[in-house]
Amino acid sequence: MNFDLSPEQQLLSDSVERFITDQYPLDQRQLTVLSEQGFSSEHWQTMAELGWLGASIPEQYQGFGGTQADTMVLMEQLGKGLVLEPFFASAVLAASALKYGGNEAQQSHWLPQIADGSKQLSLAYAEQQGRFDLHDVLTRAEAGDQGFVLNGRKSMVLHAASADALIVSARTTGAQTEKAGIDLFVVDTQADGVTIHDFPTVDGLRAAEIEFTNVVVAAENKLACPEGGFTALNRVAIDGILALAAEAVGAMEVLYKDTVAYTQEREQFDRPLSDFQVLQHRMVDMFMEYEQCKSMLYRATLEVVQQGDAAQRTVHALKYLIGKNGIFIGENAVQLHGGMGMTEELRVAHYFKRLLVIDAQFGNHDYHLAQFAG
Amino acid sequence: MDIDLNSDDLHFQKSVRQFLSDNSYVAGNDYSEWRLNWFRLARDQGGWDVPKWPEKFGGPGWTPTQHYIWEQETARAQTPWDLPFGLSMLAPVLMNYGSEEQQQRFLPDIRDRKVNWCQGYSEPNAGSDLANLKTKAELSADGSHYVVNGTKIWTTLAHIADWIFCLTRTDDSGKKQDGITFLLIPMKQAGIEVKPIITLGGAHSVNMVHLTDVKVPVENRVGEEGKAWTYAKGLLAHERTGLAGISRSLVALEKLRKQAGSVTRGNGSLLDDPSYRLKVAELEVELMATEFTELRSLASAAAGAEPGPESSILKLKGTEIQQRLQKLTVEAGGIYSAAWGATPVGHTFAHGGMSGYLASRAYTIYGGASEVQRDVIAKNVLGLKK
Repeated sequence: MNFDLSPEQQLLSDSVERFITDQYPLDQRQLTVLSEQGFSSEHWQTMAELGWLGASIPEQYQGFGGTQADTMVLMEQLGKGLVLEPFFASAVLAASALKYGGNEAQQSHWLPQIADGSKQLSLAYAEQQGRFDLHDVLTRAEAGDQGFVLNGRKSMVLHAASADALIVSARTTGAQTEKAGIDLFVVDTQADGVTIHDFPTVDGLRAAEIEFTNVVVAAENKLACPEGGFTALNRVAIDGILALAAEAVGAMEVLYKDTVAYTQEREQFDRPLSDFQVLQHRMVDMFMEYEQCKSMLYRATLEVVQQGDAAQRTVHALKYLIGKNGIFIGENAVQLHGGMGMTEELRVAHYFKRLLVIDAQFGNHDYHLAQFAG
Repeated sequence: MDIDLNSDDLHFQKSVRQFLSDNSYVAGNDYSEWRLNWFRLARDQGGWDVPKWPEKFGGPGWTPTQHYIWEQETARAQTPWDLPFGLSMLAPVLMNYGSEEQQQRFLPDIRDRKVNWCQGYSEPNAGSDLANLKTKAELSADGSHYVVNGTKIWTTLAHIADWIFCLTRTDDSGKKQDGITFLLIPMKQAGIEVKPIITLGGAHSVNMVHLTDVKVPVENRVGEEGKAWTYAKGLLAHERTGLAGISRSLVALEKLRKQAGSVTRGNGSLLDDPSYRLKVAELEVELMATEFTELRSLASAAAGAEPGPESSILKLKGTEIQQRLQKLTVEAGGIYSAAWGATPVGHTFAHGGMSGYLASRAYTIYGGASEVQRDVIAKNVLGLKK
């Protein structure tokens, strides 16, 4: 039993931390948010060169063969920088989809390109009527002469406008909410019939609503998914939740520490705010809920590394806890910063916004508590 | 990073399981004979009767992981009742600050569970602000004994105790943390009066203890005169991990599920009621997180590091969880939790439920109230000054 990072993980963590400190100041980030692409190609290149994009990609596909624990180390540090680049969409979600669903040819085609950053992918799984259910899929893929023809809509697809290709869940058979009959397809974003409505989200990232109208997908772009498309998609969601939770834990750490520092500097009634017991206890609660999230993150990550999707219940527990506690910490960080907490000038507001969005991604805290309760 | 037990730990776990199953109580046998014999057999295993004592004093010298395994296994097994006052509270003070003569005089009887101790710390005007204590100990002119006068309160099991270890004031000229002296006093003597306090759960476990002109020989003073605040604080640090009770709460949660599952509601059980089910789920998540917070704290201790910030939250989280378990048990019992007669009515598990719940309110008051714990974390972990 040991919760220390391995020497390699420590190096990885240090290198991401250095990157965030040196190259990710908030004012620079806010300018990047306003750019057309919404992220920096230069940073994207750095992430590729430092091997981060390939952290969880098997070595035979030019990755580093890491586990969810390595991704956790990376995401926790990226969370401290509120990183805008589509690391999560491409190097976590799309890479996982190919790892769990792709056959040899599909993996050897896509994974090296994800690892070196030459291709940027995303995952299109959500549909409005399905709310948080991965298996509620109306988008259909009809088998035809040239492979498949896709019709339907996907919602809130991260960084779709800048992506080269999307991994799309669509139904080849079955009714709307059946788990059987779902398959995963790699779809070129430039293909005829793909319409992408790009928009910013409140946390400064980009997402899109996508329409597929008679989009032709070659047969070899249907992921093999030997255990079925839903099983693969669910494993992707597990990896996604673990990564988001790690990012959230990084953001929570910044929020509680910033709050502690701010209340020590800010004086009212002729003394620092941190002298007031009512504020001290609030910060202790923020600290405790952060530590509990970190414990649950370790627990869920290590269980998934060992047991795969058999650890699903712990993943539900994790997503519930980081959603609930992330909002608790964010609300209190703003409250304790007073009026300044309401401005975009201080970074607390930006971390809070990210935590709000993280709660709603892949199912919010109520959804996962209900799943956990069974 | 890994969560596996190594082969030594697995071997240890196996031998603990073996010991516990070989020596469980058989209904119909003499309980107190079994109890004392159990401790003797545990001692023969190499100090298992005093798990937390250092090797130098006959303890097993376990690693933090072994302590964790012991807690996990004993939470599920039937072990004899035991009291913490002599074993876990006084003994460490004697080991660290007592004379060799005092160690030889008191430790063996504590270990053999022969002598019952109680703790004389709190006073009517010294609760969370313990250093405010006023029980006066005056040294006699010839320096042979102290004369003690004052009142102690919330003294658990004073009515069955043979001895009390007491914080007394020998000097009130300096700041209030100075001038406090640690005395060991036999209970069965003139000048000591124990008055029961019946708590809101209806139970008699705590008392008020009046000391009037009680003579205490100087050889019953532990350490130096006036230095006991340091000793008592050291003791609290020793207690810190003992109070979370995570393993026991995990067992209690399993029991709660069974009980709630046995309460019928329409065609299903109480567990089919979404609002109740979600409350149980929320509690389970909190428990799962706290279990890993404890493991993180153990792992850093095993690596020889100082306890990390995560350890400071265990008492707070652990006691809150215990209270929520009691509360959900009362809710599961419904109106039957109110029954308090000699014979259970309705659901058997509900008997005395509300009384148990009411008693559990003390968990976040004793051993440093939750608010005091938050003060301590604010100061020592977050670096906020008072």
